Amino acid sequence: MAISRRQALIGSAASTATLASGVFRPAIAASEPIRIGYLPALTGPSSSTGIGINRGTELAVKEINDAGGINGRQIELVVRDTQSDPTKAVNAATELTRRHKVHVIWGPLNSGEALAATPLIARDGVPQLHPCWVDQLTDVKKYPLAFRNAPTNQQIGGAANHYVVNIVKAKKVAVISDTTGYGTASLNAYVPMLKTLGAEVVYEGSVESNNPDLKPELLRMQAAGAQAIMPWSVNAGFLSRIINTRAELNWDIPIVGQTTLGSGQTKALLKKPEYWEKVYPNNFRNCSYNAAGALPPRTVEFVERIRKANIEMGDTLLWWIALGYDGPRLMAEAIKAAGSGPEEIAGYWNKIKAWPGVYGSISWTPELHDGFQNEEIVMCQANSLRDGAFTLAPGYTG
Amino acid sequence: MLLSIVSYGLALGAVYALIGITYNVMFAASRVFSFTAGTVGMLGGVFGALCIDRMGMPVALGFLLTLAAGAVLGVITEVLTVRPVLKSLDQHLYVLSTLAFALMLQQLTAIEWSTEPQPFPRLLPFGPGFFDQQFWLPISACVLTIIGLEWLYRRTLVGRAFLAISEDNYAARALGLPEQRLRVASYALAGAIGTLAGFTGGEMMLAYFGNGPLLNFYGFVPVALGGMGSNRGAVAGGLALGLFQQTANFLVGGIFASVAIFVVFILVLLVRPEGFAGAAPARRV
Repeated sequence: MAISRRQALIGSAASTATLASGVFRPAIAASEPIRIGYLPALTGPSSSTGIGINRGTELAVKEINDAGGINGRQIELVVRDTQSDPTKAVNAATELTRRHKVHVIWGPLNSGEALAATPLIARDGVPQLHPCWVDQLTDVKKYPLAFRNAPTNQQIGGAANHYVVNIVKAKKVAVISDTTGYGTASLNAYVPMLKTLGAEVVYEGSVESNNPDLKPELLRMQAAGAQAIMPWSVNAGFLSRIINTRAELNWDIPIVGQTTLGSGQTKALLKKPEYWEKVYPNNFRNCSYNAAGALPPRTVEFVERIRKANIEMGDTLLWWIALGYDGPRLMAEAIKAAGSGPEEIAGYWNKIKAWPGVYGSISWTPELHDGFQNEEIVMCQANSLRDGAFTLAPGYTG
Repeated sequence: MLLSIVSYGLALGAVYALIGITYNVMFAASRVFSFTAGTVGMLGGVFGALCIDRMGMPVALGFLLTLAAGAVLGVITEVLTVRPVLKSLDQHLYVLSTLAFALMLQQLTAIEWSTEPQPFPRLLPFGPGFFDQQFWLPISACVLTIIGLEWLYRRTLVGRAFLAISEDNYAARALGLPEQRLRVASYALAGAIGTLAGFTGGEMMLAYFGNGPLLNFYGFVPVALGGMGSNRGAVAGGLALGLFQQTANFLVGGIFASVAIFVVFILVLLVRPEGFAGAAPARRV
């Protein structure tokens, strides 16, 4: 059949109109990739955490894509290295939400950057998942689409206080911090919590982090009869001086506190390796060895997958990798079950209960976007690091 | 307690005094207070740890390279931040230029070295205790430095030339003294003294980029207390500051110790603004 020029013109106009009206749009949308905006600090001073988390994130995305993606749609990780700089994190977040129109954002991965970027991500109406500990980073009124799959600082302090009072059974506690914002805020928050638990805080003080001699402070703690020291600082120099001074005073009370107590930087500054005995930093139950030296079954299976994927674990921490692995999986599950729109993702997350992550179980409600469970935050033995994981501190069961 | 106050107090005081001398040597040659003094001190610890701990050099070689690096930094400070603003000293532009350079060095150290304190190696195989090397090394360095400077300024021609340009650089130039070269040499000497402070105090203060601002401030206090330009005053002021700081640490502790230092510092300057060893400025009539 011959087609006249007029018929051809009418036909092509009709096709153009059909395309413009969006009849074929669902088909295109159904096959387009799910874009996850990802804001790790892969360089700069906070990069050790970012590099560890990145290994888990890349593994999760690869596994999901290899298994066919989310309802047939591949995940496209749109990565922007924040270089540990809040300004760069803000710029990158804006680029991801406005230019790349990502469906969801994973990160930033440290609190300084998240404090700067979260309000902008919330303003652009993009769902956000982050693992940062600063309490103010979730607020269902200000940031209704922001969720946290890690503990808050309150939970971290609460777990340390619980260990000191209820497991070590220390009645008299010394709490010391450096003079940074983190240090003094932690001291002010955790001391009343300790008192509520029934402990007597016999020493409470903030000291400059580069004060080379902490002996006067520890002598004061000793004179006050302290049975445990709780230092709140992320400065390895400050923490190592407390540990060294305790040993030089031939004092063997436990030191219980923040994760930096168990870091390689702290270890490097100890005068003798044995000074690290009875030092208990925060850790997470799923990523800790029990007294028999075994990881929980869920984590054992995860470690096997890490090994098969030839991912290095010796130079990082298992909980960083596990945390990175859980992020994209939480997103994939929400998009698969509810859809890729902002309200659909947030709506699904708002109803999640005891989601079995490798790092920890997550439960969110419309009123509370802090999903990590208190009982999964534990203390561990600082000198027990093996393949990226620590052994539980004495007194825990399981 | 007394032993701890004396040992730590004198050792810290010696480090502060050496930084104070660094300020003074730079000031004498140019009438400029260079705020790179504390940063150079911080770099003494970092260079020492880098050469000996990370690169595995012998202690003597690491020590010499650290001092040489300090001297080079001193020269760079003079060329980049002091020389361009000498013509307008009354506008105090050197505050901005030297402070900016100090901040650049500090940030560069944070990026290239570490933001965490790093261990500084034990230099000599002597045991811990009151006579621990971390205490007597900075004290010895301070004593040797002040003796060396006294000898240089009073017994050598070069030293007398340094004094001449610090007294009156126009007259010194008129007499044919190479003022610019002498100034550069003074800055090199000051840089070496600054790194000596950080190197000998490294075990106590660690190799940490955050020591820069601390040394900048606590090194300036002895200069203000002892009188600007007076090295003997800086030593006396530094040792007094160290002992007072340690005593305050034991007696009041925590952040109150720092407050006590500021209070005494302000009181001394109110009573004697020219410092203990400085001369009151003559009033032109």
